[in-house]
Amino acid sequence: MRFLITGVNHKTAPVEVREKLAFDPHALAPALSGLMSCHGVSEGVILSTCNRVEIAVTAQNGDEPAVDSFLSESRRVPLGEIAPHLYHLADQEAIHHLFRVAASLDSMVIGEPQILGQIKSAYAAAKAHGAVGGFLDAILTRAFSVAKRVRTETGIGENAVSVSYAAVELAREIFGTLAGKSVMIVGAGKMSELAAQHLHRSGVTNIFVANRTYERAREMAGLFQGAIVEYEQLLAALPQMDIVITSSGAPHYILKKADVRRIIEARRNRPIFLIDIAVPRNIEPAVNEIDNVFLYDIDDLQRVVAANIGERKKRADQAEEIVAAEVERMMARLKAREVVPTIVGLQEQLEQMRLAEVARLRGKLGALTPQQEEAIESLTRGLVAKIAHGPISELRRQAGRPEGLAIVEAIRKVFRLES
Amino acid sequence: MHEMSVMWLRIAAVLYSLGLLHVLLTLIHRRRDRVFRVAIVAFYTGVVIHAVSIVEQTAAAGRIPANDFFQSASLCGLLCALLFLFLYWRYGYESLAVFVFPLVFVLALVGELGSPVASWADTRLRSAWLVVHVVLVLIGYAALLLTAVTSILYLVRERQLKTKKSGGTLPPLGTLDTMMSRALSIGFVFITLAVIAGSTWASIESGTRWIRDPRIIISLATWALYLVIVFLRVTAGWRGRKAAFMVLGLVGCSAITWAAHTGLKSLLSR
Repeated sequence: MRFLITGVNHKTAPVEVREKLAFDPHALAPALSGLMSCHGVSEGVILSTCNRVEIAVTAQNGDEPAVDSFLSESRRVPLGEIAPHLYHLADQEAIHHLFRVAASLDSMVIGEPQILGQIKSAYAAAKAHGAVGGFLDAILTRAFSVAKRVRTETGIGENAVSVSYAAVELAREIFGTLAGKSVMIVGAGKMSELAAQHLHRSGVTNIFVANRTYERAREMAGLFQGAIVEYEQLLAALPQMDIVITSSGAPHYILKKADVRRIIEARRNRPIFLIDIAVPRNIEPAVNEIDNVFLYDIDDLQRVVAANIGERKKRADQAEEIVAAEVERMMARLKAREVVPTIVGLQEQLEQMRLAEVARLRGKLGALTPQQEEAIESLTRGLVAKIAHGPISELRRQAGRPEGLAIVEAIRKVFRLES
Repeated sequence: MHEMSVMWLRIAAVLYSLGLLHVLLTLIHRRRDRVFRVAIVAFYTGVVIHAVSIVEQTAAAGRIPANDFFQSASLCGLLCALLFLFLYWRYGYESLAVFVFPLVFVLALVGELGSPVASWADTRLRSAWLVVHVVLVLIGYAALLLTAVTSILYLVRERQLKTKKSGGTLPPLGTLDTMMSRALSIGFVFITLAVIAGSTWASIESGTRWIRDPRIIISLATWALYLVIVFLRVTAGWRGRKAAFMVLGLVGCSAITWAAHTGLKSLLSR
């Protein structure tokens, strides 16, 4: 069996090409039918995300499935237009690629967790369509467990690699749980909206918005069932807040050291986390000197993100090693799978010979005592097992070796197994 | 000391112990209201009886009873209690109770120990009592040690977050703070019980001489420091870095107390 991958990803193709090739979920079922009717395709699965379109198929040895033309025809894009962006991978390389993709090592943001889920749903769709048999199933399920192993052993997805998510991670480092915490958003920009969204998802329940223009404040408060605080009442409301995100366009500091000192006193020293993503800054930097106040500005957050990305790269190297080792193991396993029919055939062949010979012997000798029956039975069985032992262990040893195929062929010929 | 006045003082101490119980329960459970109502009534009654005891002593001696440490402790306890009641009545400073209840109880207890009861009826009781004291101290110290470790972790973590070098494997700051507070409270509960057991034991063992022992003075001072820290933490909201440093100081004092009690003193003074 051969395993082949054809596709484009964010490295080989610009978005103009990727969007033409993408399969939306409704188009997936007919596309799978089309793929399966393609010449030479035994099994197939289609993965289509915003960063990649990949088609993985298995084929009998010697067959050359026409996946390129299938892609061109089913997406109605001239082959010449997509050909320069397509890559073709076979067998070991294809498995290596699949494992890397599943482990999120081939992603735009290395270590992002969505890709595994996307592969799983592609697998589910193909399976529901009857396009997945034993061979492809073995490879794909192995890819899932490799991805899981990479994730747990390297912790590659652990640290935040976006500014808004880094803010949430920091809030967790300060407060532990975020459930029941209150957050104030000052100035309703895009970035603060993202951060608020992450916080909302992490269990922050009380969200307050203060903005100079009332309309925008109401719009944003609506997103999180938040409350609106009058811009003039901001200082009075702050002692109740655990997290404050500022991104207003004010040209001067809206929170000075003296203000924050009063706030922390009113909070009886319960810690407060101030996130200032505005440029120019909204909060006086010296505020960070006050006990139990933690102030991070946009540069601090970006430094955290940069450090996390560096950390991910380091872990990605470790992950590549795991993937390489897993590919080796998978190849050995697939090769071992290939010799299984030969071993079974050999055993059946010898058993039939034995039975035929025993029958012939019994015709000559006539009636036998049970002891004699048993002696003949064990003699012939032992003989057959001895003869089979050599070739079978050789087959097992040769499985997975480059020169193995010739030896397997030789054994088949010697024992007259059908070619 | 006058027979009757000692008895009144003992009754007052028993009533004050309800206040102490309230504080200990608050520290462990964080439920206040119902126990507080009982405790404050007992406290009022205790103050009245305490005053009766002092008045009787004054009448018997013909002057204010402040002749020795025990009498002064009792008097001081009454004054603290009266001050607290005034502040409570005038301003509703309920949170002061965390500080005052244990203090007044221990002062009344010490005052009452000025007239020791009969010596040990049985040596087995004597050693069992001592074992109880030691076990209470050890549990208290274990909790205190845990507080110290958490405090150090807290300080490290806080520094990381302040200097923006995050990404360590330490628990979140809030978790550490909660752990610190919990361990401190539990430690205080056990150390307080140990101080009560220890003082009573010493009083029965050696009459009134024990109070002049420097070891006892060190222990009582450490306990008082502990009380102050718990008070500041519970009522004044001293948390975070300041609290962590205070706890480390307390651990230092406790180490000295420990050393004084386990014979290291003789080693050091040699």
